[in-house]
Order: sequence, then C-alpha cells, then structure tokens
Amino acid sequence: MNRKKNILIAGAGPAGLEAAYRLSMMGFSPILVEKEEMPGGHLNKWDRLFPEREAADEILERLLSRVKNDVNIKIFTSSYIEQINELNDSYNVILSTGVTIIAEAVLITTGFDLFNASRKEEYGYGIYERVITNADLESWFKGNGKIPVENPQSIGFVHCVGSRDEKAGNRHCSKVCCVTAVKQAIEIKEIFPHATVYCFYMDLRMFGRHYEDMYLEAQQKHGIRFIRGRVSEVSENKEGRLVVKAEDTLAGKPVKATMDLLVLMAGMTRPASSASLYEQLDLSMDEDGFLRQSDAILNGQSNHRKGIFVAGACTGPKTLPDTIHEADSAAMAIYEYLNRMTV
Amino acid sequence: MKERIIIGFDSFVIPFMVGMIFILAYCIIGLVRIICRLEPSDRKRLFISLVTPKTILKNIRDIICDCLLHVKIFRRNLMLGYMHASIAFGWFMLIVIGHIEVWLYTPHRQGLLYYPVFFRYFVKETNHTLKGAFFFFLMDLFLLMVLSGIGIAMFKRIRSSIVGMRRTTRASLTDTIAMYALWAIFPLRLLAESFTAGISGGGFLTKPMYWLFHNFLSKDYHILPTWWAYSIALGIFFFMLPFSRYMHIPTEAVLIVFRNAGIKIRHPRKGYSELQIYSCSSCGICIDACPMVTHKKNIKYSSVYFMRFLRRKNRKKTREIADKCLMCGKCVAICPVGVDSCELKRKFRNADKALPARNYDLLEVSEEKKPAEKDKILYYAGCMTQLTPSIYKSMEKILGAAGADYEFLDREGGICCGRPLLLSGNEEAAAELIRKNTEAIMNSGAGTLLLSCPICYKVFRENYDLKGIRIMHHTVYIDNLIKEGKISVKNSGKNLVYHDPCELGRGSGIYDEPRNTISMIGNLKEAAENRKSSICCGGSLGSLTLSSEDRAAVTKHSLKNLTYMNPEEIITACPLCLKTFGTYSEIPVKDIATAVAGNITCKNKKDKE
Repeated sequence: MNRKKNILIAGAGPAGLEAAYRLSMMGFSPILVEKEEMPGGHLNKWDRLFPEREAADEILERLLSRVKNDVNIKIFTSSYIEQINELNDSYNVILSTGVTIIAEAVLITTGFDLFNASRKEEYGYGIYERVITNADLESWFKGNGKIPVENPQSIGFVHCVGSRDEKAGNRHCSKVCCVTAVKQAIEIKEIFPHATVYCFYMDLRMFGRHYEDMYLEAQQKHGIRFIRGRVSEVSENKEGRLVVKAEDTLAGKPVKATMDLLVLMAGMTRPASSASLYEQLDLSMDEDGFLRQSDAILNGQSNHRKGIFVAGACTGPKTLPDTIHEADSAAMAIYEYLNRMTV
Repeated sequence: MKERIIIGFDSFVIPFMVGMIFILAYCIIGLVRIICRLEPSDRKRLFISLVTPKTILKNIRDIICDCLLHVKIFRRNLMLGYMHASIAFGWFMLIVIGHIEVWLYTPHRQGLLYYPVFFRYFVKETNHTLKGAFFFFLMDLFLLMVLSGIGIAMFKRIRSSIVGMRRTTRASLTDTIAMYALWAIFPLRLLAESFTAGISGGGFLTKPMYWLFHNFLSKDYHILPTWWAYSIALGIFFFMLPFSRYMHIPTEAVLIVFRNAGIKIRHPRKGYSELQIYSCSSCGICIDACPMVTHKKNIKYSSVYFMRFLRRKNRKKTREIADKCLMCGKCVAICPVGVDSCELKRKFRNADKALPARNYDLLEVSEEKKPAEKDKILYYAGCMTQLTPSIYKSMEKILGAAGADYEFLDREGGICCGRPLLLSGNEEAAAELIRKNTEAIMNSGAGTLLLSCPICYKVFRENYDLKGIRIMHHTVYIDNLIKEGKISVKNSGKNLVYHDPCELGRGSGIYDEPRNTISMIGNLKEAAENRKSSICCGGSLGSLTLSSEDRAAVTKHSLKNLTYMNPEEIITACPLCLKTFGTYSEIPVKDIATAVAGNITCKNKKDKE
C-alpha cells in the first residue's frame, strides 16, 4: 500500500540519498530532485573525510549504489522545483523540466552553500592568486586543477572565514572547518614535508570523537603551528608572496608572516538557490538563514508545516555522520506521519 | 486717540507681567552663566565677534532667515515652513507694531512691558483716520497670519503628513502644557480685541467679529475676563518656556551669535552646549532622517530624544543613544536650528571614560627625513583600504597610468588615522596616533597626501596640522587627472548610481567631483535621497553598540534608496561603504577607483613612452 506513496526529496546530497534508500526500504516511492548534473552534493568535491580520512568517492559510491540499484527510487538531476502547492493531504510539485509529481510528503535536504570567500576582501580571495579556499585545496587533492604555487615553503590556514563573523552576516559556527583545517594541514604537510604550516584560529572546536587526537597528531607528528588569533589582512609583496598580518592573542602581539599559499576555511551558509522553495513552502528560518526545526531535541526532523520534513545541513552546519543519522530519522518520521502514528 | 484707563494699569496684566519678568530674568541669568562657563579664549572670540561688522551682519541675516522666516524649513516643506514662519514672523511683527503704536500714540507709556501687548484695551482709536486704519489693518493682518499658523499646527498634531513629516516627537507633559498655552494665546487675543472693538475700534478682522458677537452678547461683562484669560495664557506660556521645547525661541538667536563667533563644543552638557541643548525645538525632523529609524522601535535612537534626555540629565538613556549613533551627520545637516548633536554625542562619549593604560611602543615611524619634493604624492591607504585590496590595487594602476611620482606610505603596514578613536571618544589615544602619523607624513617630503578613505580624509583635514601639504581624497584626485588629461577613460555605457559616503559628503562637502568622474565612465544615476540627504550604509564606525540586525536593516534600507533608478552598479568612494553594501547588495558594488581603473584607456601611457 505504501508503494503508491510518493515522497519528494529536495536535494540528492548525502542526506537525500540516505533518506531515499531508507524510505524505499520502508516501502515508499522516493523521488529525488537534484539541481546539479550529478547527485552527491558537496561530497563530489571532497577528497578524503575526517577523522579517519576515508575516501569521499567510496562513501559516495556506497550511497549511490543503494539508490541506483533500487527501481522504486526515481532521481531527476539537473532539475529544480519550480512550483510546489499544498493539496489536501499532499503536495503538487512541478519541476523545471516540466515533470509533475504528487507527493504525500516532502523531505528538504537542501544542505548548505560554502561561504563566498571573496566577500572577505581583506583576505584577498579572487584578488591574489595564492589565496585559495578549503574547497579549492580539496579539489586539488582530488587531482583536479593545480595549486597556484609549485613548491610552497610556508602555508597558512585561516579558520572561521565567514563563520562567527557578524560583519559577514554569519554569527554561527560552521562546526566542521576546525577539524577540516587540521585534516587538510596534515595532508598538505605530507605532500610538502619541508613546508611550514600555520593555522590561525579563534578557538579549536574539536568536539567529535578522535578529533582531539588529530589535533595532537598535527602538532606532535607534523609540527603544524597553531596561532590563536584572527588574520586581519593579507597583502601581496613585490615577489608575489603573501604578507599575512594577524594577532597572536596568546603572546599578546601582532604577527606578520610571509606565505606562499593561504587556505581560507570557508564556512557553511544557507543554500541561496533554495530561497524560492523555502518561500513557496513558507518555511521559517532562523536569523542565520538555516531552517527551523519544530522540536530540535525529540522531533528534529519535522517542521511546523504538515508533511514537510527536514534533514541534514539545511538546519545548520553538521558533520557527515550527523547528516546520515538525520536522514534515517527523517525516514522514520515520514513513516510515522504517513501511517498516522503519533510519537 | 484716547487713553481709556487714566492710570494705565489694570490688574489683569499681572499674570503676564509675572511670566514676563520670570522669563526675562531666567534668560539673562542663563546667558550670563553660559558666558561665564566659556573658556577664556572662547569668551574673547565671542566679544570680538560682537564688534566685528562682518559677523554682526551675518548674525542679523541668520537670525532673520532662521528664527523669523525659517528659510531652512521652507526649503524642506512649504506647509511646514509657512507654519513656523507665520507664527514666528507674525508674532514678531505684532510685538514690533505694538511697540510702534505705543511710541507713536502714548510715548509716556514707553517702558511699560504690558502696554504694547494690551494696547487695544488701554487705548481707544478710530479707523477713520489714515494712521488708525493703517495700524488696525496691520495688526489684524499679522494676527490672522499667526492664527493660520496655529491652525496648521493644530492640524499637524492629528496628521503630521500634511507638513511632510512621517513621524513626529512624542510631546512631554510640559511641552503639552506650553503648547496648549501657545495655542490659546492668539485666539484669546482675537476674542479680547474683538470684544473691545466696539469701544477701542478694530480692523477687518476684529470689527466684524465685534458685530457678530454683539448680536447675542449685549452686556460687556465678558470683556474683562477675556483679557484676563489672554494675559493668563501668556503668563503660563512664559512660565512654562524654560521647561518646554519652546525655550528654543529665545535660545536659537543666541546660538546663532555664538556659532558665528566660531565657538566649539567642549563639554557635552555645559557652557555652549547648554545653548545647543535648549535650542533643540524637538520638532522631530531628525526622526525621519535618522538611518537607524528603520523600525518604529528605533525612534528613541534619533537625535531629538538624545537632546531631550541630555537636557533632563538622564545619563543612562543619553549614554545609550550617544553610543548607538552611527555619526552619519544627517540629523545635523537637516536640523532647522543647526544643533550639532553628533558633536555633543562625541563629547559625551569622551566624558568620564575610564580607559586602561595604553602602550604606544608598537607605533613605529621611520626617522629618516626625506628632502621636500613638491610634486611627490604620498599615498596613505588607511586601515579600511588595506582591508579592501581592490581599491589600492586600482589606485596603483591609476597612479601608474598617470605617471605620478608617488610613495605608498602604509604599504608595509601603517598607523590608523585616529578617527575611529576620536569617534569613540578616546581623544587622548587619538592624539598619540595623530602625532606619529604627522611625523611620518612630514618626514616623507611629499607635497600632496592622497587618501582613499573618507574617514581618514576628514580627520587629516580637521585634526592634523600638516603645513604645506595638500590633502586630497582620491575622488578629487581622479577627477583632476581626467580633467587635466593625464588619464583618459572610456564610457562603459553602464547605469551607475553614486552613493555619497557620510564622511566625504556631509562630512567634507565633496559631492561633485565623484559625479563628474562617474559621468565620464558611465551614465550617472541618482539615488532617491542623495548628496546632503544620502543614507548611511550602516557600516559606520561611529556606532559603538548598534546590533548587527539593526545595521543590516540600515544597509538594506540604504540599498533600496540607491537602487531606486535600477542602476547596474553601485559606485561608492569609501572602503567601509563598499564592504557593507557588498554583503547585501544584489548588484555589484565598486569603489570609484576600481570603476575608473577598469575603464582606463592606455592612450596616455603610450604618449608618455
């Protein structure tokens, strides 16, 4: 009976893929809608994942294979939701490709956008060649493109770019950049063992299991230097190297260092392309632009709107395991909703 | 002409006289106190200005234009201007003509303060003589003028939009009492004079009124009580004057004299500042102007409330508003009285601030003194420009294309200009930075100091003593380069809107040069409110406590104002505005230097080679 029930999943990133698999197992017909050509979201662009440095490809492959081999899951790529209207007990959805779907429930897994680092002009992204972002570095690790300098001697990582920054309009912490920076610092140090690697941080938020171990390893094994203080500005000297000015709040002094490469840890912000969907569904957002949950502790996957569920980073920055768990709980919540069960 | 009362006195003048003597004594004592509080140098300046013919003329002109005719308000809104001018000028003329009448008809009564006011009661006249008809006509005309103004004022209380004001100030209790007294004065005068018109004569207004009332008020019992009421209304108004907003009427004229003498605000509350405080008429024009008033709840942040709390010595609320203010200066620019509330706020921030001991050892300046070269340009990017490298890179390109001989003062790091410290009220620390920067600039030997940041520009012009060095903002420099043909630019054909940064426009009076330049590289569009009325971007360093949500609201409001003509790009000339708009703007925002550098044609470079 459930087989007839369509569930629309907006976004085929890790949360969407995982939820589709679970919902299909429960006997529903999930329909994934993805704006990009390829499903997988940001996982497509990442090389390896913290803390164990598993290959992102493999994780994605496992997520995808479960979906692709399932005849009950439909997936529309390169399309987005153009119009969505609430009917009595369902939603009428029109995709940009003209496909019309009647869905019994809608799961929002729209994820996040990486903060546009060029908005922090003082760090010089888009102005100085040698300033790149975490995503650029990851893409280079993956074998795409190249980094702007052959053999960097001095590399800096700037934490909290567009996170915990009221002037950039983002007060929230993006949660995963600290550990990503440590991971990337170790990885780049392994590639350029002679380079000096600095991390400029405000606090190191090593909240997850094994994260602290990575941090210690980075210091002890790899000799990565951690400087507590924000980078104030970056400029270019005559040789085209970067002059980074920062404050060392532990030493209580301003510091100035010349670097060959600077990596900006761009944080997570609300997905700009989902604005129209949120608006059509009248979903309420918090000040940070992420979706509100109706009950963040016991019922985190539901929304104040009937038949609308949320999972993953669309409700705030999250790690991949958290996202996967939320997708699973969302599937459970949808099951309960469609079988008129109460929690 | 005949005097009706031989002794020239009636007991109904007592309320008026009590009020009059009270207010005169209050004003004289207040004025003496303020003069005593002035710094000796300021006092000297004041006395010199009082005997300088040029300043005297300026004082007279300003007092007539501002206090009587309210020219500034007329420019803003005709109806509002008429309301103020009719009451002020009409009332002034009633007083003047009253005195002329006394002088002409009853010279022996000169010096009696009440005589011109209650002239119609004491003196009988007929309009059959030319002189009588003339004065009756004039007095009735000006009374009618005042009454029309009062009528508008009453209607304004119900619908302020008729005088072009969206929001007005909430009146305090004393303001309300004084206001009702003021409203009562002239209708009562009309009634009193009309009732007496049968005996003393009247003009085109009072005589018909007399005939009208005469039909049903046959006895004369109501005459004296009406004169009593008129006198009491005047007495109450005078008595309430020092405790109400109407104190601006006598104070404003004194403020004009002090301001023209060149006296500066030195203390947030005392001396000259007291004149500023009492000159605020609480009109509330600054409420609509204040960029922070994007929501109704923020009305309390506008300058009118700052002045009110400062006057009431409410330290807590005064401090809150003083710290909140963006210091964009729009309220000062449009204030009809010219109250410099921003400077008062700045002084207030400066007062009794407990500051930690500071260490200035990190401020390093090269000791080397270079020979003076008149043509050399010293480029000081400033902190905010350092944080927006697109601007100084563009400036380097422009300077290169113009073949200018320049030195980049703070390429490898520099010292802040000091304005943020000044704005936050840390004058001492600012003085230290100013001293160090002055040393560095004087050592460079350059003839021109070129700046990209209006915040720096303002402080270098106003607080630095850089003898012999020309201080220029890049908007002016670029405009000169184009005019002199040192660089040539192509017109991109794009629709560009120019945002007047507060510190460059209202702060330094530069409006035209950037507009000239922009019309060379595209089609200049104007914002809905521009130039003197331009709206702060919301990123101002001026505010110490404004929340980021409120700032965001200011920015969005300002962007809406800028994009009113649907421009393709926003051009500004301040790195801080650039940064602030960049966060929320849907269309590209550029500094004027970047826009020019992008449209520079290489022709001149070749010529040089």
